[in-house]
Amino acid sequence: MSTADLFFVSVVLTCDAKTSAEAVGASVRSVLAQTLAGTEAALLGEPPEAAAALAAEHPHRVRIGPPRGTYVIPLAPGELLDRNAARNLHAAAVSTDADLVAGRWSRLTGKGRKEAVPAWQADLFARSRVLTDVGQAPELVTRDTLGAGLCVRRSKLDFTAGGLELALGAEKIALVPNLITTRRAAPDPLRDLPAAAAAQRRAAALLDDPAMRRAARGAFLADHVLPAVHALPGLGHGACATAVAELARTVAGLVDDADLAELPPLERVAVRLLADGDAEGVRRAAYALAHPGTVVSPLVHREGRVYWGPDHTTAAYDLTELGHQYRTPAEQRLLGRVTGCRREQGRLVVEGETALPFDASAYEKTTASLVFKVRDAGAATVTLPVDDVRVERNTLVWQARLPLTDGLRPRGIGDRVWDPTLCLVVDGEPAPPCDLFADKETVPGGSAALRGRPRLTRLTADTWQPYVTAKHHLAVTLLPRRKAARKANAAAHYLATFRPARVLKGMAKKLRKRRDVLHSQRFKLRVYRGLLSRLPARRGSVVFESHMGKCYGDSPRALYEELRARRARLRATWSYASSPQGFPADAKLVRRWSWPYLWALARAEWWVDNQGFPHALNKPGHTTYLQTWHGSAYKRMGYDEIRHKMQNAPQRTQLARAIDRFDHFLVRSEHDVRTLAHAYRIPEERLLRAGYPRNDRLVEARLRDEREGRFPRPALAGELGIPDHKTVVLYAPTFRGTPRNKKARLALDVREFAERFGDTHVLLVRAHYMETATLPATPPGAVIDVSAHHDVSEIQCLADVLITDYSSIMFDFALLDRPIIHFAPDLDAYAAERGSYFDLRSCSGGPVVETQEELLQTLAGLKKADGEWQQVRRQFAAKFGAYDDGHSARTVVDQLFSDRLGRKDRTR
Amino acid sequence: MKQRELFLLGNTVDELGGVAGWTHQMARLFTGRGHSVHVIGVHEAELKMPLPDNQGYPVTSLYPNHPRTARRISGVQRLNPAARRQEAARVADKKRAVAQLGGLLEGARHGSIVIATQVWPMEWLREVDTSHLRIVGMSHESFAYSRACHRYHWIKRHYPHVDRWLALTQEDADIWIHEGLQNVGHMPNALAHLPAVPSPRTEKVVASIGRLADQKGVDMLLDTWAEVAPFRPDWELRIHGAGADEPQLRAQCTELGLDGSVRWMGRTSDVPGVLAESSVFVQSSRGEGFPLALMEAMASAVPCAAFDCAPGVREIVRDGEDGLLAPAGDIDALADRLLRLTGNPRLRDDMGDRARVNVQRFSQEQVLDQWEELFELLER
Repeated sequence: MSTADLFFVSVVLTCDAKTSAEAVGASVRSVLAQTLAGTEAALLGEPPEAAAALAAEHPHRVRIGPPRGTYVIPLAPGELLDRNAARNLHAAAVSTDADLVAGRWSRLTGKGRKEAVPAWQADLFARSRVLTDVGQAPELVTRDTLGAGLCVRRSKLDFTAGGLELALGAEKIALVPNLITTRRAAPDPLRDLPAAAAAQRRAAALLDDPAMRRAARGAFLADHVLPAVHALPGLGHGACATAVAELARTVAGLVDDADLAELPPLERVAVRLLADGDAEGVRRAAYALAHPGTVVSPLVHREGRVYWGPDHTTAAYDLTELGHQYRTPAEQRLLGRVTGCRREQGRLVVEGETALPFDASAYEKTTASLVFKVRDAGAATVTLPVDDVRVERNTLVWQARLPLTDGLRPRGIGDRVWDPTLCLVVDGEPAPPCDLFADKETVPGGSAALRGRPRLTRLTADTWQPYVTAKHHLAVTLLPRRKAARKANAAAHYLATFRPARVLKGMAKKLRKRRDVLHSQRFKLRVYRGLLSRLPARRGSVVFESHMGKCYGDSPRALYEELRARRARLRATWSYASSPQGFPADAKLVRRWSWPYLWALARAEWWVDNQGFPHALNKPGHTTYLQTWHGSAYKRMGYDEIRHKMQNAPQRTQLARAIDRFDHFLVRSEHDVRTLAHAYRIPEERLLRAGYPRNDRLVEARLRDEREGRFPRPALAGELGIPDHKTVVLYAPTFRGTPRNKKARLALDVREFAERFGDTHVLLVRAHYMETATLPATPPGAVIDVSAHHDVSEIQCLADVLITDYSSIMFDFALLDRPIIHFAPDLDAYAAERGSYFDLRSCSGGPVVETQEELLQTLAGLKKADGEWQQVRRQFAAKFGAYDDGHSARTVVDQLFSDRLGRKDRTR
Repeated sequence: MKQRELFLLGNTVDELGGVAGWTHQMARLFTGRGHSVHVIGVHEAELKMPLPDNQGYPVTSLYPNHPRTARRISGVQRLNPAARRQEAARVADKKRAVAQLGGLLEGARHGSIVIATQVWPMEWLREVDTSHLRIVGMSHESFAYSRACHRYHWIKRHYPHVDRWLALTQEDADIWIHEGLQNVGHMPNALAHLPAVPSPRTEKVVASIGRLADQKGVDMLLDTWAEVAPFRPDWELRIHGAGADEPQLRAQCTELGLDGSVRWMGRTSDVPGVLAESSVFVQSSRGEGFPLALMEAMASAVPCAAFDCAPGVREIVRDGEDGLLAPAGDIDALADRLLRLTGNPRLRDDMGDRARVNVQRFSQEQVLDQWEELFELLER
């Protein structure tokens, strides 16, 4: 390190004999384009000959020899630096006096020139920061963070060392969110694993902190071993065996059962099998990882646990959590593995085997067929028989001799690819179709080709050829192989692509774009405002909507049913969000935001809704808007919400305008008047103190309970398969505002509940209407997801106990006078963050518990303890549901729709 | 130190308050360090700021009035001769303005620096040959505020290629980097001056200074005061500033029954004087950049209670050390901070004294040094 600092930053490219001139050229050009002018490129190792020319061309900035900069950026040939990389790193290094500055890097994804930044960098580089100890950001050493995108002080650190040594050697490390290096090589897990394993061994030796060593091992499994497992199905049978033997040697000693225990079950088994060197097993496990829910091995049951196979029955191979044991033989999704594929006497012979879970004898009476489905061209299917099916030990062995030439006769144009699936019929019951898992070594392609006879003559194509798809399934495709078909296809290709055809295609594209504009929300809004909303009202028309069209339920439904029962002279329209299934057949159904929807809204005499028609749609002058609202408030709402308070003036005006459309607003107690009406600034004269029509059903159910008892249960119990002796528990947590497309995580551990109460209770889970929840596998009948059910009050009538946190369902359920348990693990945090209108602990409808254990204990002792809560619960119901007298729907209809009722219906 | 040629380019050169005030403050400071400065504005403002006759640096406006906004003429409008004439005039006018700007920048030495203090002037600057210059773009608002309006798209389109894009704080800069700009730095505003005598903090007065506009959240301040006043009957809230929302705010004040404890002071030009008569400063804004008012209060050793509405606020006030912050929009929390400050004279004195020391990290000298470092970085 004796050279003087002539540059601010040197970019070091270490080349070897294999380094290509293009790679070095690209990297050097990215150095020369740096905004920090004092940046040089220094080439070490064995630079290709072209490098000398570069050095001659830029004698001052490209040098073959050791670096002369104060800071050094190591760069692999072929990687590029962002224009501002050197300036950003240098600025951070100077201002923080750090020995090492690191930023983000991106790499090729393997799909063309697309690049991506690995997801784990997001948190690590969220903010600029300075570290004095690696422990403050363990990802620096546990992951490949310092593989690129960094600079080091030349006088302090040896830039040729690995990322781990650099991080441990630096006294001060600065992290910047900037993107520094781009175009790193695409990850190839099988190729990269040996290097990663070596780094892992160094980490185990160098890191003192056991927690960090564990984190490093976890990251090694997640970033390197699991991707290698995922890459295995792409290899053929033999190649896979070689690769797995090699990988098993590589990871020997790096995989221990304590780390594996942190992985999900199937991942754990796959890594374990890899470490064992079981090529066939790991290949199947990898397939199951890509296709969740598939049984790929002869699972066995031992002492209440489920294991991978008869020879693998230790804790490392435990797959109980996947829940395969809860399915009957005909419900299992099995895997058809292709073991042979060849041509024989003008037929395609496909042989395969299917691993059978648990008791293989259950599959003795199995018949099978191969169903061919056309890909991306409608729903055409062709069924061909499987000739030979038999059970051998714990596998089902089958063979099909497929007469493709005469059995499969597509048109020949647009339907050339067909995917076979194996359809089993187990003891008379059809099982889910099994995909055919194949590899390129087994499926020979050309040598198994058969003649094809498409219906549009053999000029379209003439040969059937089996092949393996990108997802490792067997498929057959129709190809033009003979001269006549090849010529005809070439001519067709010319016709489809010569200049006039291209012009036509361009015109069609433009037309489609035009059409999209005409169907855009923006255009619809303009037409609605300018034209539709000025049309005259259609007498007696009502538009109903519940939860933005997501369901047919809540108060709008109760009102609709009341109106229908009293034969009101009304034309009802219901809006649905995505599917009209479950909506009433006698009403007109329109999709939300469709043209008929806007038409109906513009001409309606009444709007009835529980949440809000789109804010952008102004209410026509002739329309009366009844806002039934969807629940009393515990958390702060409307202008009491911080979110709305901090909005700027135009945004708040927009909300005010949307609320000003309400002509009538239903409230169910004075609590609503103080909270909701105040929060949304709804004037007194617009409040309708009638209670919620949806709750009439609950009041009625309570009266029936008092008169006749709880049994027989409503018909819904039979539909859901709930036996009379089980206690029905409804779990309905509140909306947490999880980001879009993310599934809600339930606070309640459903599996533990099922284990302890499965015999005596049934748990109905109702996620909020804005979210969906995924439930873990549990014994059949213990847990039922009722999120998709339209009407939540029907479910409430069925439930014996309610578990909720702060959802407004608690105010409704209290009307039933049945036990409520508030399960609120994050009560204080939630109340502090969202704000609340009252203290739940001092004013609740039942016990407030904060841990799962407490909840389960409360549930177990509910019968004894409920007597104390009855009085409290009744007060709770009276306080929050004072106007819910069981006749809300009638009151509302009498007040608003009296002139549309028949004479005798007017005073029922 | 190296002497440089600097061009400060903003929307206007003589608008009252805001960025124009900052521009002249910096121009004076740069001139004081021996740089040659030229202040350029797009147009002359209607509400003018009184400028001294001889600032010591030239000031130029490209247009006498606000230039017309470009409107695409399409459809039937193409047949409208008046519209076409107007558009042609606008284009010709812009050409002239671009030529004028080009003339000003043409003679500059190689490596001179253009600081676009606002986003809009880039519309002219990008049409001038600036290959011999270095361009620094600046934002005087928080990222969130830019994000909520058209400026966000403007910045994303025109500023990834300038030599440096400056946010107000490191936090804002980091967000811009995640938005894909790789040329981002940050530069705080400078505290104009430190009053010789700190506030004695003897009067039972809470002060608020700011335009009576929606952004300043005075409506939320009144709601907050309605929670504080019953517990502090001997304290007074003085609201300094004027604006369009004044009638509504006064009505709200009366409705809340606060007329006895709130005084409307109107616009003030003597900020240090106002602060000398106060013991606590409160700010309840919906959005801020790098609020000068907070810095001035701290310079007068008046402790602050404020909504944590922007990175700039957290940068200036260290919560619990030299002031108290409340989650943005949380009125109960802000009321709690005010009750703590008004109820505890020792806390007030401790925080106020610390505030006066701490805020000096934004003194003119310090900020000017940061600018010099930036200029050096751009030359490297």
